[in-house]
Amino acid sequence: MHPLDRIVEKSSRRLAQRTSRRGFVALLGQVLTGSMLLPLLPIDRASRAAAAGSEPPDAASPAKSPPHKTDAGGAPNAASADPQNCEYWKYCAIDGFLCSCCGGSSHSCPPGTAMSPITWIGTCHNPSDGRDYMVSYNDCCGKTSCGNCECNRNERERPLYRLSRNNDVNWCMANSDSNYHCSVSVIMGLAEQ
Amino acid sequence: MRTLQLRAALTALLVSLAGLGDGSAIAAEPLATEPLPAEQFTIQSLPSRSPHWVYVVDEAFYNEIDARVRLFDGDSYRHLGQIDAGFNPGVIQSPDGSTTAVATTYWARGGHGERTDVVEFTDNSTLSIAGEIVLPPKRVQILPTYFNLAYSSDSRFMYVAYVTPAASFGVLDPAARKVLAEIDTAGCVLVIPSGPNRVSSLCDNGRLLTVTLDEHGQEASRALSDALFDPDTDPLFIQGVPDATGYTFLSFLGQVHEVDFTGPQPSIRPPWSLVSSAERGHWRPGGEQVAAINRALGRLYVSMHRGGEGSHKEGGSEIWVFDLKTHRRLARWPMAKSSVGAVVALQVSQDEAPLLFTAGDHRAVAVFDALTGKLRHVDSNLGQSPWFFLNP
Repeated sequence: MHPLDRIVEKSSRRLAQRTSRRGFVALLGQVLTGSMLLPLLPIDRASRAAAAGSEPPDAASPAKSPPHKTDAGGAPNAASADPQNCEYWKYCAIDGFLCSCCGGSSHSCPPGTAMSPITWIGTCHNPSDGRDYMVSYNDCCGKTSCGNCECNRNERERPLYRLSRNNDVNWCMANSDSNYHCSVSVIMGLAEQ
Repeated sequence: MRTLQLRAALTALLVSLAGLGDGSAIAAEPLATEPLPAEQFTIQSLPSRSPHWVYVVDEAFYNEIDARVRLFDGDSYRHLGQIDAGFNPGVIQSPDGSTTAVATTYWARGGHGERTDVVEFTDNSTLSIAGEIVLPPKRVQILPTYFNLAYSSDSRFMYVAYVTPAASFGVLDPAARKVLAEIDTAGCVLVIPSGPNRVSSLCDNGRLLTVTLDEHGQEASRALSDALFDPDTDPLFIQGVPDATGYTFLSFLGQVHEVDFTGPQPSIRPPWSLVSSAERGHWRPGGEQVAAINRALGRLYVSMHRGGEGSHKEGGSEIWVFDLKTHRRLARWPMAKSSVGAVVALQVSQDEAPLLFTAGDHRAVAVFDALTGKLRHVDSNLGQSPWFFLNP
């Protein structure tokens, strides 16, 4: 089990022991509401807009460093540094089409689509800098499936009953135009302590 | 004699006409003695239902709003017809086999516009749509399982899983074509039907929530089961398989969890393992529809692959066959990579000379003798993502 997962698991268990189920449901509601609102926060949008606007798609990513050879969890290779490749390090639990092959980038939706306000969260290891990052997987919505760069990776992905770790469900479900187009992986921050 | 003279004269005429054209002589084909009769433009009717038919649910992943269900005959290898299935459909057969129900989503302008969630009923004898129930726009949009949409045992009720992402389910009256109720499931997902009025859902803590309905389809009571599995150490695939008394679920690491749903509450049997201690963690079940059971023979067929964490959607390089009574592995059938592919979905017919259907990762659907493992046929034209099979 990944160290971050272990930490989350421990804290979840402690929380479960301390709180009632109804309390947990209320908390979950708050978390979900929070995650629905998160992409709408101006500061969040501004920082992402700056990141997206100042560089070509993915140019600022550490994955742009010269390719090296690796296997999972080890040193980098060319595929793990290419945002149009399913092996790109940030895509460790994407099951869908890569927005970077559909007019967007690894962290931006293609023109004319809409960002899914709700999301699932994962942890991916960046072999270029040896760090674990918390990433938010979001779907881009409102057009039919892009069909380019199909990617099916499932590290620490879990079935539907563990919704926040599931990549099978359509995360455009809460959008007014809920059709699924493609998926992105957005760095939220370091997963390390 | 007269016909022969006529034919000779016509041949001579054709030859001379051809000669007029380019100066070369060609030999004309003799004409048929009688012209073909006029044809009548009709609609093909389906033959009688066969246990060797299979409904192949094509997710149409590359143009996902256009999923479809193809009816395929495993004996003649013919495509018999198609049912449209929209986007991320849930598909199920009615208990009497007369109806295919499809829970799906359409948008008013094809890929966009106003969303309509609906259950559509298709008459299996004609493959024509016989009716529908419009749903609130809450239907879970996920790959098909037996538990996205379900019938009660007497067909009085239907259940539709909702995830918005809040989890609940809808209770429908298929005869009156209306929605009766929505029941909150406190985060537990999917609709596992049992008896005439019970619905169980899988919970994040590894338990089953069972809601019992009254005669109006409203909640009468609810109960949580003991732990069925540990989602932290060994998650369960949601693709349960119907067995003789309920459903069999497999875990990522190959544990078999059988649940008897014949009583008022689910009864969990002691789990057993598909793999030896040496194989554990190395050989795993995987795919979209990971297993199938022939209930009369008590045989379990599982798609198995070599892999580690994160490989739970990988197709099987082998099919393993088990006896459900003795838990003994009866066979290991390697799948030909080039023709059959890694198996992402499988189904077995329910007769005594069963066929095994597999869908490979390169979209090929293969037909095997389910008693011997002998490959009978491979069809590559049953859709782009044939990831779920239903028996007739």
